Amino acid sequence: MKFLEKILSCWKFPIKHKLSRKSKSKPISRFPLLNLPRVVLLECIENLDVLEIIIFSLLSERTKSIAKLIPLNLLDIHITSEGDPQIWFKLPNLPGLDWVIDYNKQYESSVYPAFRSSLNGPKAVNFLILHDNGNVIDDVKQMVEHICEVFRSQISDIVIFDESFIEWIIKFQPTIGHVRIREDVISSVETMERILKSIKVTEFFGLEPLTIDKKFKTTEPILSRFIVIFSSFWVTLPSILNGTNSIIRLYDSKLTTKDISTILNEWQMGTKLRNLKYLEIEFVPIQVNTSYYEILEDLDWTDYDENDGRPRTVEIDDDWIITLPMEYSPLNLIRSDGMIGSIVDIGSKWFGEVRKTRISFVVWSKQS
Amino acid sequence: MSSTEQGTSSAAPAEPTTAPESAAAPEVPESFYYVHGKDKVVHKVSAGALQHSALIHGMISNLGYTEEQAKANPFPFENIDGDILQMVVDWCNQHKGKPTPPEDTNLPKQKEKLFDLVLAVNYLEIKELLTYCCKQVAMMVKGKSPEEIREIWMIPTDAEDEAAEKEAKKRAGKEAAGETAAAAGDAK
Repeated sequence: MKFLEKILSCWKFPIKHKLSRKSKSKPISRFPLLNLPRVVLLECIENLDVLEIIIFSLLSERTKSIAKLIPLNLLDIHITSEGDPQIWFKLPNLPGLDWVIDYNKQYESSVYPAFRSSLNGPKAVNFLILHDNGNVIDDVKQMVEHICEVFRSQISDIVIFDESFIEWIIKFQPTIGHVRIREDVISSVETMERILKSIKVTEFFGLEPLTIDKKFKTTEPILSRFIVIFSSFWVTLPSILNGTNSIIRLYDSKLTTKDISTILNEWQMGTKLRNLKYLEIEFVPIQVNTSYYEILEDLDWTDYDENDGRPRTVEIDDDWIITLPMEYSPLNLIRSDGMIGSIVDIGSKWFGEVRKTRISFVVWSKQS
Repeated sequence: MSSTEQGTSSAAPAEPTTAPESAAAPEVPESFYYVHGKDKVVHKVSAGALQHSALIHGMISNLGYTEEQAKANPFPFENIDGDILQMVVDWCNQHKGKPTPPEDTNLPKQKEKLFDLVLAVNYLEIKELLTYCCKQVAMMVKGKSPEEIREIWMIPTDAEDEAAEKEAKKRAGKEAAGETAAAAGDAK
């Protein structure tokens, strides 16, 4: 419970101050909770909300072991840093309600801890706001470890906004659903290799721009169902072809027009990328004007049908839908099992002095 | 509210003042039972009100007392303070034959009393009242800081727990040593 002491340290002064003022006028009325029979004690604790149970569990080893007996599993635990460092989670019986532990330092220390609620349409969010006392990264890690232990739950999603989270997650929970790594968190090839080898990301792997040695390459597949990689110079053709990804979005890729043609050809033959639903690659072709033809020249494509029923969106999950460009007349590749792959967009844009080309390819079937 | 009378368990109890039956309801003779707490004050309670208590209801069902036998043999609950038993009896009477509301605002506000009430209600197995009590206990710490919760619920720190455990071990060791010495003395 050492870390609680640190968390509490920011609360102690104002709380003691408040209590000492209270105690002069009226002694606090007390209730020896831990002397209750165990069944009754648990019923009392079950009447607390989940943030209160967390606070209770942090009071001592004994309260922690009591809280662990509450049959409550948390869902969708995710660590993020949209502004403040935050830990989010849900309860299975309250899908429209999010619970958040938020660390900030924008108020006077006497304000902490604070409880807040907010309504956003049909969804509600309950916040426990704690003081960011300068050691917030460790506080977040320890709080997550504590929550996962007490509620027998797993982290489902992490936004890595500090490099130290990488070794921590490898040690604490190396298999995880969603990982997004913020810009420039990875600063070395060693760290990059460590992530690729030691973290198994099952659903979503997102990597924002990074500055590492441009010679670094990988031929190993990236295992997640959905990958979105900025600065994807290190992702090679074998890495893509040997993967089982459903959705691939690569930006600043070093793949060539020939590589992209190979990917589409292998997909059409049915030998690779059997799970592919959507592919988007941004690359810098040697010859912009001929890149389109270079991609298509070895492919067995058919002309589009205006009313072919191709999808207008690609659904990643409940909260994330990609809208596809519809103004472009696609070319279709048809696989032997009837699946259709449509090149729904290909175009170039200037980014400074570099002209980048982007190709979007969606897989669908007339039955769907 | 049941009326009560000071005295021993054999003292004649006063008549209850339970809510009268509806005029439209058929007249069914109601049986009454008698309970007393630590203070020996006997409370006369209808079987209907006592149905809230699984413990007493089980006792009644097993005993098959007549009115006279019940009067002569009040159920003794020596582990429950008189005022707490009074609260329980009042609650049972107020909620006799009625659906229990989601909240109960009549529970004691003093935390010490609530603690005794929770223990009594748990012992008497009055499920609905226990549920209210547990909600009330949880409400005590609504919006409170960790240190306030620790204070209100008298939760020791790890260091205090460790010290208490050491002390308990030490005491148990001394008691065991004392018993061994006494046994050795007896053997001589």
